[in-house]
Amino acid sequence: MRRIAFGTTLLLIAVPLVAGEIHGKVVCRGVKDCADAVVYVAAITGKTFPPPAEHAKMDQLNLVFHPHVLPLLAGTTVDFLNSDAVLHNVFSPDACADKFNLGTWPKGQTKSYTFKKECVASLLCKVHPEMEAFVVVVPTPYFALAKADGTYVLANVPDGAYTVKVWHPKLKGVQKPVTVAGAAAEADFEIAR
Amino acid sequence: MTHRVRAVRRLSFTVIAGIVLLAGVRPAGAVPVFSRKYQTSCTTCHTIFPKLNPFGQAFRLNGYRMPKETEEQVKQAPVSLGAESYKKIWPKMVSPSDLPGFAPFALNTKMGIIYSSAKDPAGKTVVNNDFQFPEEVNIFTAGTLGEHFSFLGEVTFGQETDGSVTTELEHAQLHINSPFGPEHAVNFKIGKIAPDVFDGFQEMWLMTDNGVDTMFTYSPIGFAGGTGLAEDVGIGLPAIVQGIEFYGVARHRIFYTVGMTNGMAPNLDTNPGATIVDGNSRKDFYARVDYKFGGMGLDGDTTGQKLPPENWRETSFRIGAFGYSGDGRGIDFVVTDPNTLTDYNQEDRSFERTGAYVSWCFKDLNVFGVVLHGSDKLQNFDQITGALFDETKPSFDAWFAQADYVIRPPFQVSFRYENLNPSDPAADNIRFYNANFSFLSRANIKTMLEYRRDAHESENYTVAGVLRFAY
Repeated sequence: MRRIAFGTTLLLIAVPLVAGEIHGKVVCRGVKDCADAVVYVAAITGKTFPPPAEHAKMDQLNLVFHPHVLPLLAGTTVDFLNSDAVLHNVFSPDACADKFNLGTWPKGQTKSYTFKKECVASLLCKVHPEMEAFVVVVPTPYFALAKADGTYVLANVPDGAYTVKVWHPKLKGVQKPVTVAGAAAEADFEIAR
Repeated sequence: MTHRVRAVRRLSFTVIAGIVLLAGVRPAGAVPVFSRKYQTSCTTCHTIFPKLNPFGQAFRLNGYRMPKETEEQVKQAPVSLGAESYKKIWPKMVSPSDLPGFAPFALNTKMGIIYSSAKDPAGKTVVNNDFQFPEEVNIFTAGTLGEHFSFLGEVTFGQETDGSVTTELEHAQLHINSPFGPEHAVNFKIGKIAPDVFDGFQEMWLMTDNGVDTMFTYSPIGFAGGTGLAEDVGIGLPAIVQGIEFYGVARHRIFYTVGMTNGMAPNLDTNPGATIVDGNSRKDFYARVDYKFGGMGLDGDTTGQKLPPENWRETSFRIGAFGYSGDGRGIDFVVTDPNTLTDYNQEDRSFERTGAYVSWCFKDLNVFGVVLHGSDKLQNFDQITGALFDETKPSFDAWFAQADYVIRPPFQVSFRYENLNPSDPAADNIRFYNANFSFLSRANIKTMLEYRRDAHESENYTVAGVLRFAY
């Protein structure tokens, strides 16, 4: 799913901006870059979105979760792959992710979990306490991971009035109203501790 | 005092000998570990090491963290000992932390040329001209351990006259920073520490090579004004203690500290088999409160302040009051009545020190000083029967004033006058002038020329050329 979002983002950056998108820049104060910031459209009253059939993927390689932050639509299933020669575990201490614990499994194997509702789920490995990742479960398919310089694009957003939110693992989130009306809308954010 | 023989002791030789002796054990103070961690110059925190500028003072009080520190400022990423999210499930798992991403060690080397001239008790002038290459080497360790812990350690290796090396553990402390409440308000430190009750004038925060000996090495033990200055029996203010302290900064400008320490160590002359580090079961206590007007806040806050880019400059005035209460019962010192030549075991049953500290900064000038009043309750015991022979309650008053001036950042000067008057009218007072010229050839290489004269015995003086480099 992340690949889809990123692919879409890259495609949109490569071509002139088109109507039905929200783009802008997030300024992240106090951290090295904005690469972990997630920008997304908050829940739209009366609208639900079916989750994608394709599973998102998260790898455990060299004792690190890849990616560190994974935004996805509620209902998406994530396949957790162990690419290391050591046993890994994945669990979440967060109630919004049912405090799931997938146990341990060896290299090359995958275990899956479906994130059912809006949530910021911390992912941890009990075998290696320094490992940490975040799955940011959002209610709409309009989301993106900001680039290191803070720029982002939310693609294929229909006309309407929305609340756009920004989340970051170390900085306080912010939100603002944004209206899309037949053209690209711009929204910049600044987040800090 | 009816049993006390009032005799004037010649302190001069003792004093000078003490100064030469003490010159070898000065704490180094600057910690290059932080230069590596933040990839920044020593002068970010030091006016001239080890003297701290306002930012350095805030850095220290913040638990060796920059005020409002950001991830971008830390250039050497720490090693994670657990992800932050583990906080959510504590105590099911160990709380997360981190440790420095490199070996947090640094060295400081000091070379000294010490020229001293003093009259011995027979009136003969004794001159020493000593190349102390090196005089001492200090190994530092310091850093942070996750969000709320930090540490500092220092081991000093001193060169002895017979070629041997003495080792002294000067600092070994763990700080717990803002474990609860508003940030900076409540912090703890435990271990072997330089108590914050002496913040600003303990030797590890002075730009001069000599410390303020009238504050820290005066001993009331003895007859008629005490021993004078002698570190091994110093019961003035204890420069380094083993204890627990809590301290904090409130409303950016109020500093406070309260501490409890072991107090005096056993006297190995009278208790050679001592196996404990506390001389008795009693503890000493201290406290201090300061307020700073103007300049950078004590926690680094700069709200509403216009501070110049020259980070040693500010216009500020800081004033504080402090007290120290000690208990030396059971710790015997052998003293000799100079009139009857009778030996007694003397104890400082209780001693109180109260004082005030002021520091004024204006442009390139910093003038600061302390007034101190000390009172002691000395008891003499018969060495054979252990019976109490007599009791006296001497006191003393001491003060010093020091002016540090930045001519240009590499060139700085300092002048200090210090004075101590024992209450016993038969005792000599102790007075010193101390002048220093310091040159930073590099941010981490310092050369000093320091002159100290005994104002009481005006023929006694020392001149020291000192080279210190930290890396």
